Amino acid sequence: MGHEHADAVDETQMVTVGGVAVPLTLTQTPWPDPHLDIEAYDPDADMMALNMGPQHPSTHGVLRVKLYLDGEVCVKAVPYLGYLHRGVEKLCEKLGYAQVTPIVDKNDYVSPMMNELAINMAIEKLIEAEVPRRAQYIRTICAEIQRVGSHLLWLGTFGLDMGGAIGGGGSIFMHTFREREMILDLFEELTGCRFHYNTHTPGGNRHDIPAGWNTKVQQVLGHIGQRLTEYEDFVRDNPVFRARTVGVGIVDPVLAMDLGISGPILRASGVDHDLRRDAPYMAYDEIDVQVPVQTAGDCMARYLVRVAEMRESIRIATHLLDGVPEGPICSLKPVKLPGAVKAKSGSAYCSIESPRGELGTYIVANTERRSHAQPYRCKIRPPSMHALQLLPYMCPGNNISDIIVALGSLDPIMGEVDR
Amino acid sequence: MSLPPDFIVLCRDRLGIEEPGVDGPLVPREQVLSFASALKDELDFRFFVTVVSTHYPAEEAVEANEEKGTEAIAAKPDRTVVMYRARRLQNAERPTSIAAFQVEVPTGESTPSLCGVWAGADWQEREQYDLVGTIFADHPDLRRIMMPEDWPGHPLRRDYAIDTSHFPWR
Repeated sequence: MGHEHADAVDETQMVTVGGVAVPLTLTQTPWPDPHLDIEAYDPDADMMALNMGPQHPSTHGVLRVKLYLDGEVCVKAVPYLGYLHRGVEKLCEKLGYAQVTPIVDKNDYVSPMMNELAINMAIEKLIEAEVPRRAQYIRTICAEIQRVGSHLLWLGTFGLDMGGAIGGGGSIFMHTFREREMILDLFEELTGCRFHYNTHTPGGNRHDIPAGWNTKVQQVLGHIGQRLTEYEDFVRDNPVFRARTVGVGIVDPVLAMDLGISGPILRASGVDHDLRRDAPYMAYDEIDVQVPVQTAGDCMARYLVRVAEMRESIRIATHLLDGVPEGPICSLKPVKLPGAVKAKSGSAYCSIESPRGELGTYIVANTERRSHAQPYRCKIRPPSMHALQLLPYMCPGNNISDIIVALGSLDPIMGEVDR
Repeated sequence: MSLPPDFIVLCRDRLGIEEPGVDGPLVPREQVLSFASALKDELDFRFFVTVVSTHYPAEEAVEANEEKGTEAIAAKPDRTVVMYRARRLQNAERPTSIAAFQVEVPTGESTPSLCGVWAGADWQEREQYDLVGTIFADHPDLRRIMMPEDWPGHPLRRDYAIDTSHFPWR
């Protein structure tokens, strides 16, 4: 790419922590204490408390962060969650296994396919259902297309977070939304819905690939691949973009692992971890997933990782499309009644690599206390919630404007944080 | 994904448990901190995954019935079972793997918080306290995280009435 960030990979000195190689430079500074009382800070400072959110457009939904400021520099940040809490876990307990898919769709509303996949994989593990190979391929292809769509939305809103630094105004937002629209059209043709698909079901898929869909996907992905080059031209050497992102919001990889942060944030801090490659599920065992890693750990590195991931997703989806096997798309009979999917007592944890990191679902079934068709306890592990835990560590010492950019680069989706 | 072999060895050495289930061994509360620290520092389970607390109402004792061939079951108090999960990332020598262990906490008592071991346990334990009502001792900031501060009860408990209105609406 002819870019100092990309070239820096080989020169970075790595150190091994817990058997994992991490960049030495990112692990130097001690972590601030997020629970330190505000009275313990410098009493002479002219301290001001400022509420960012919950209705602030750059908090990506309804996140509220209470910032203690000394001038324009943040001293302490306290995030408050729960403004979008809908009780999804309680709903999952109240509904049956056959009914939870459209509910969890609304968790991470930018990539609903991932939510469906995560919870249905856990249910399938619990009821010991096989997924036909064709359905596995369709799920993997949908997941990869969804990842492109999700990262496109992130790139557009990230441009807005910087006050339209990329190309002026909302240009990049308009461009990425135009391409994302094509992806929504693809899903509409496959499932009949543009957003909340309800296409995964325990044991397989509801909707088979319609005639001519493969060709359209190839065309759209090829088109987006070309557009990605344009975006990079937009951004790569844009002095405003570089000034706002290089060296801003640096994430310590050891702290990130401690907090449970995965996905592009961890990979941008130099940790080579991707569940698609390390613990393959669905059809990922068919393909050699290339994991992009950056070692700078700043907002620029996270941008580079996400753009590289989009290219990799396009490659995976295009490759898998050619080899979709024939056969059934669901191993169970079509579900007509809510009690149709039944499980024995037990528990199952399944995790997948969503665009934001490790999205896990843990389900306990207890037939002595609960019906066979309802979970006793259902817990969703949202990657965004773990990412937001970074804020108290990352904000101190930064300007307000840098905090907005750093928050945007974490890509939080409040629907899945609050559930 | 089954539990890794060296984790099972740790369970045997530390707890005397030979075959932990899929959700790991049941760790006594006084040993939780040392067990979790050993897991993180000795076995490199540094990536924090999740905390899940599950509520079980009290169970009455059942006497042995020789005609039916059933065994006696001891009475169990109202309790929550807390499950922790941590991940070890892959490198050249090993694949990625998950370890799990559980702690049983009778209602009204507390279990040591693991915030000092994995910083990520902070919000997760707050969430479990908020929704299920498990109390984590020595947690630096044990407040509600999802529900309003003055909300009555813990919604994911089994004895929480779901069909009645809860006021005030917020």
